[in-house]
Amino acid sequence: MEQGVLAVAAPRPVRLVVSDDMERGRGSVFFRLWFALPFLLWLALWALAAFFVVIANWFATLFRGTSPRALHGFLARFIRFAVHVYAYFYLGAEPLPRFDGRPGYPIDVEIDPPLRQNRWTVGFRLVLVVPALILLSAFVGSGGGFNGSSGEVSSFGLLPAAAFLAWFFALARGRAPRGLRDLIAYAISYSAQVWAYLLLATDRYPSSNPLTAIGPLPAREDPVRLELRDDLRRNRLTVFFRLLLAFPHLFWLALWGIVALGATIANWFATLFAGTSPAGLHGLLARYLRYQLHVGAYLYLIGNPFPGFTGERGSYPVELHVAERTPQNRWTVGFRLVLALPALLLVFAYGTLLFTVALLGWFASLFTGTMPLGLRNAGALALRYTAQTYGYLFLVSGAYPYSGPNVAPTTPSA
Amino acid sequence: MRRLASRLVRPATLALLAGGALWLWAAVTLWNATASVPDAPSLSPERFFSSSFLESSASFERFLVIDGLLAIVTLVCVLVLYARRGHHLMRESAAGRIGTGMLLGMLGFGVVWLAELPFGLAAVWWGRRHGVSHQGYVEWIVNSFLGLGSTFLFIALALAIAMGLAGPLRRWWWVAATPLFVGLALLFAFVSPYLAPDTSPLRERGLIADARALERSEGVEGTRFRVEDVDRYTTAPNAEARGFGPTRTVILWNTLLGKDFKHSEIRAVLAHEVAHLAHDDPLKSVGWMALFLIPAAALIELLTRSRGGLARPEAVPVALLVLVVLQLLVTPFFNTVSRRVEASADWSALEATHEPAAARAAFRRLSTTSKSSPDPPAWTPILYGSHPTIMQRIGRPTPGNGSGSAEPRRRSPAPGRC
Repeated sequence: MEQGVLAVAAPRPVRLVVSDDMERGRGSVFFRLWFALPFLLWLALWALAAFFVVIANWFATLFRGTSPRALHGFLARFIRFAVHVYAYFYLGAEPLPRFDGRPGYPIDVEIDPPLRQNRWTVGFRLVLVVPALILLSAFVGSGGGFNGSSGEVSSFGLLPAAAFLAWFFALARGRAPRGLRDLIAYAISYSAQVWAYLLLATDRYPSSNPLTAIGPLPAREDPVRLELRDDLRRNRLTVFFRLLLAFPHLFWLALWGIVALGATIANWFATLFAGTSPAGLHGLLARYLRYQLHVGAYLYLIGNPFPGFTGERGSYPVELHVAERTPQNRWTVGFRLVLALPALLLVFAYGTLLFTVALLGWFASLFTGTMPLGLRNAGALALRYTAQTYGYLFLVSGAYPYSGPNVAPTTPSA
Repeated sequence: MRRLASRLVRPATLALLAGGALWLWAAVTLWNATASVPDAPSLSPERFFSSSFLESSASFERFLVIDGLLAIVTLVCVLVLYARRGHHLMRESAAGRIGTGMLLGMLGFGVVWLAELPFGLAAVWWGRRHGVSHQGYVEWIVNSFLGLGSTFLFIALALAIAMGLAGPLRRWWWVAATPLFVGLALLFAFVSPYLAPDTSPLRERGLIADARALERSEGVEGTRFRVEDVDRYTTAPNAEARGFGPTRTVILWNTLLGKDFKHSEIRAVLAHEVAHLAHDDPLKSVGWMALFLIPAAALIELLTRSRGGLARPEAVPVALLVLVVLQLLVTPFFNTVSRRVEASADWSALEATHEPAAARAAFRRLSTTSKSSPDPPAWTPILYGSHPTIMQRIGRPTPGNGSGSAEPRRRSPAPGRC
C-alpha cells in the first residue's frame, strides 16, 4: 500500500506463511464447496474438543502463568488446521489440506511455543477479545444478502466476497489473481491471530495491519494510489463529534457528486470516441475523487484534520495520487460499468470493514488519543481500493483496482 | 463642540444615524402590528386550582428554572473559555480559512452541548419523576446528539456566508450577510411545516369541521392541520402554528387529542393557533429576527476586530460568545413581544369561538397536564415567559362583555405555540 507507517516491532508470535503459487484446478474450484465438506465437518468436531481443551487451558494458564505445552500444542495444531481448511475453502490455496493440521500447507501459520502470559489478560480474555471478534466479523462476514421485499442489505464479509470473485476468475483463467489471493490470506491471517488470542495460544493482541499480515507484499505504482503521511494522533474532541463534523462535507459531497455524475457520463462519451479522457473532465473527476477520499478518511478516522472543501492536492495527510490521463482501451471503456461490478461488490465488503474500523477506532482514539496503527492501515486499504474502483468507474484510470494489500515501490520510477 | 459637529456630518455617521432611525421605525411598526389587549385583573389561583397542585407545580417549575439558570451560567462560562482558548483548535484543520472557521464554530456548539448535558439530563429526570416525560436517558442523549447535527449544518452554512463575505468586504460583511440570513430564515419559516417529524393528517371529523370553520372565520382558508406523535416522549399537550402563505400549518400534539381534553377545549386551542396564522405571526417572527440580527452582526464585527475580524477563523469563538450573550440579553424584550403576540392570539380565538369558558378550561387543563405553575414568581417570565401566565390567560377579559376591547387587529408577528 502506500507509504504507511510500518510497525518496527518484534516478530509476531502468530505468523501467516504464504507459499501458494496461485494456480487453481478448474475442476477442484468448481466443486470446492463439496470437496471442503469433510474438512469442515472434521473442523467442527475438532472445535468441540478444542472447546473443552481451552477451558482447561484457561485454568492452567491462570494459575501457572504459562500454557501447558501439551494443551498449547493441541490448540496450535487446531488453529493451523483451521487456517488450512479456510484457505482451501475460500480458494486461498489449491491442494487438499491434511486432516492432522501438520505444517507445510501453501497457506500456513507458525505459532511460537508458549510464553508467560499476563494473568489479568488471561482472566479477562473473553472480554478483551470482543473488539477483535467484532473486527473479525467484518472480515469473515455473515455471507451477505439482499432482502428485496424489505430492502434490507446484510453485511458482506471481505473473505466471502473475495472468494466469490476468485471462484469466477479461477474458473475462467485457471488461477487466482494475486490481489484476491493476498486479500484472502490477509483475512485468514487476522482470523488466525484472533483465534490464537482467544484460545490462549498467545497474549499478543491481534493486529489488523495489512502491511505485516502475510509477509512480503508486491510493490505497485498504480495510477490511482494512496499516499499516507498521517501520524496516528487524534484529537479527542473532534473524534467525539466526528460524525456530526462530517455533515457539511457529506452535504457538499452529495452536491458535488451530482456534478461528477454528469461529468462521468460526458467523460464516457468523450473517451469512447477520442480514446483518452479530456483534460478538463479528467482534472475535475480526479479532484472529486481526491475530495471523496479526504472526507472518507476524516469520517472513518483514518486521518485527523478537518479537510478542505476543494479536494486540493497535497492538502491532507491521507492523499490520493491520480496519474495523468492515458489512452484507454475503447472496449473496456464501453463496458466499464459492467466490468466494474465485481470491484463494486468488493467495495461494499470493504465498506463493512471501514465502518467497523471507524467504530472501534472511535473508542480507541477517545481513550488513548491515537488511532491504532493496524486499524488505521486496514481502513486506509479499504479507502484505497474504493478510490481505485471509483477512479476506474469514472474513467479516470484504465487500471483495474488492485484488491490486496501492497506497498509503494522503493525506487522512484524513471 | 466643533469637533462633535464635524463628526456628526461625516457620511458614515449620518448613515449610521439614518440606519438607526430606520431600525427604530421598523421596530415600532412591528410592535404596533400586534394588537394589544386589555390587561387581566389579578385573580387568586386558589379559585381555579387546588392548593396541592399549586404547591407541586411551583416545586416542579422551581427545579427547572434553577436548572435552566445553571445551564445558562455554564453556557456563558464555557463560551468565555472557548473564546479565549478555542482558536488553538485551528491545528485540527487542514481546510482553508472558511473551513477552519466552520470547524471552530461547530466545535464551539459541541463543547456547549457537552457542558449542558448534565442539566438536560437533570431536566429529563425531573420530568420522568413527575410523569410529564417518559423519554429514556440514553434515548434523550442520542436524540439530542443527533439533533446537534442540524445545528452543525446551520452554523457551518452561516459561517460560510459570513466568512465568505468577510473576505472581500472586510468590516462591512454584515451589511451583505444580514439580508442573506433573513432570506434563509424566511425560507426556513416557509418550509418548516414539512420538517416536523412524525406528523399525520388530522383525522377526527368533528375537529376537522371546527378547523375549517375557524379558518374561514379568521380568513386563512387552505390551512393544513396535522397531528404530531409525541406521546413516546411526553404527556404534556401542545400545539403550534408554522409556515406562511401556501404552507400555513397548525400542528397539534397527539397528547392534546387524548381523553384529557374535551372537544370544546381542543377547539379553543385550534382557534388560538389559527389566530397566529391569521396574524402572520410566523412571518413577523422573521422580522424580529432581522431586527435583532442587524445590530448583532455589527457588534460581532466590532468585537472580533482584535482577532482580525470574521475573515479570520480565530475570530469565530469570539463571535459565538458575542452572539449567545446578545441573545441572552435581548431575551427579556423578545419574551415581552412574544407574550403580546400570544395574548393577541388568545383574544382573536375568543372572538372566533365565543366560548370563554372552554378557553379557561383549556388553560386549566394545559397547566395541570404539563405541571406548569399557573402563577409563577414575577421574575421568571423575564427569562422564560414567552406566553402570558396561565392566570393571566384565565383572567383576561373576554371580547364583547364590556370590560375591554382590543385595538383594531392588524396582521402580526411571532410563531405560535399554545
